[in-house]
Amino acid sequence: MNLAHLHLLLNHWPIIGTFIGLALLLVAVFAHSNDIKHVGFGVFAFLALGSIPVYLSGNAAAEATRDMGFSANLVDTHEGAALLALLFIELTGLVALVELFRFTRHGDPPVRKGLSKGMSAVLALAICTAILMAVAGTTGGDIRHPEINAEGETSPAIATIGAGFVLSTRYFVIEYSRWIWPMIEDFHFIGLILIMATVGLLNIRVLGFLKKLPVRPLHRLLPLGLAGLAINVVTGMLFFIGMPGFYVFNWIFQAKIVAILFAAGNLILFHCTGIFRKWDKVGPGEEAPLYAKVVAASSLALWLSIIVLGRYIPFGE
Amino acid sequence: MEIPRFFLTIEESGLSIWVRNNPFWAIISIHAIGMAAMVGASLIIALRLVGVAPDLPIAPLQRLYRFIWFGFWVQVVTGILLLIGYPTKSLTNWDFYLKLVLIAFGMVVMQMIRKRVFSDPALSEADMMTKGRTLAVWSMVLWFAVVTSARILAYTYTHITYPG
Repeated sequence: MNLAHLHLLLNHWPIIGTFIGLALLLVAVFAHSNDIKHVGFGVFAFLALGSIPVYLSGNAAAEATRDMGFSANLVDTHEGAALLALLFIELTGLVALVELFRFTRHGDPPVRKGLSKGMSAVLALAICTAILMAVAGTTGGDIRHPEINAEGETSPAIATIGAGFVLSTRYFVIEYSRWIWPMIEDFHFIGLILIMATVGLLNIRVLGFLKKLPVRPLHRLLPLGLAGLAINVVTGMLFFIGMPGFYVFNWIFQAKIVAILFAAGNLILFHCTGIFRKWDKVGPGEEAPLYAKVVAASSLALWLSIIVLGRYIPFGE
Repeated sequence: MEIPRFFLTIEESGLSIWVRNNPFWAIISIHAIGMAAMVGASLIIALRLVGVAPDLPIAPLQRLYRFIWFGFWVQVVTGILLLIGYPTKSLTNWDFYLKLVLIAFGMVVMQMIRKRVFSDPALSEADMMTKGRTLAVWSMVLWFAVVTSARILAYTYTHITYPG
């Protein structure tokens, strides 16, 4: 097994997941069910996370098939479609996560007719994502399955646009100016600080330090941590698109991605859902339950290890 | 300008050679965690004083100064080790001095906030915010400048080690 195999194992999940998430949201709308809506939002938040390694491993698959006589053009087209699909699943997941967090904070709004702004936004983005995922899947299939292509069939225009987007992004990151890369790094550090200041502080309090602080208002700071995470996903992807060959086979980078999946999964599941509502009643001077402390300790350990792994990436070359 | 010979003397010392080997990665990792503690804790205080998270009580945030100072001393120790590893690289770079000055300003502003906002327990939260708001904005600007100047150290140096 290698990373190309990993790409084949993972690459169906974002496509099928998007359709499942979309179906859940539609059911939630027609059944007026907040519970199903939360599940749908959760599905998109996790898909946004899980789609990242799918995209990354695609570069390894492209490397592995380079000498096998496949059309490089088909691979580039698929990469372009995949990047657009990734962009939209990230946007969908982010808006869904913010909505999920709002419910965690304020409780469910009264059920009323018509769609809320958040729900409309997630639905619209999810529909675009579903289309782009379908294009990414089809163009990916074309690479190894010439039999599904009709005679003289050309690549979907949207995938060609995506391929141009990959190239122009790489040009911007690497060649446009020697100051772009440092600027992206700078924002990557700012994102790190936002995550550690908010998620880290909340975890430290739940663990029993700074006990005079109530938990609930610290939990309210999490959207800043989510902003930090969004900044770092964007800046991190820019590094990767700029120099995929530097990262994709680097085992420290791979370990960092795995750690990010666990840390951000922890953030989505335990900090942005109803699970946290039991813990944020912990007032000044009070102890959080043991279960919450285990979650906080693992979150803190993971984020710290992500910082260390990130700094060690050049060492893993 | 002639590069002082003692940069070379430092570079040839056992400690300097040790830093430049494997420990380098561990030291810059700890340096990044120290940054997160120092700047992250300062950021929370500053954000609260400009009105973010209004239901977060201000007075107990004074405890965050422990994290700021802990982070600061971690940075001093790891920073000195890195400086011993690469004295020529840092000390011949104008940006290195800019960074030190900006850190000094950042810490001074944080101490001014401590004095004005946290030293008088009789102040109401509204008073604390009025007294601290401008300084809080300055601290955020300064910490952003510190992180930026630190990041571009890797892009502004002329010699990585003593030339020749």
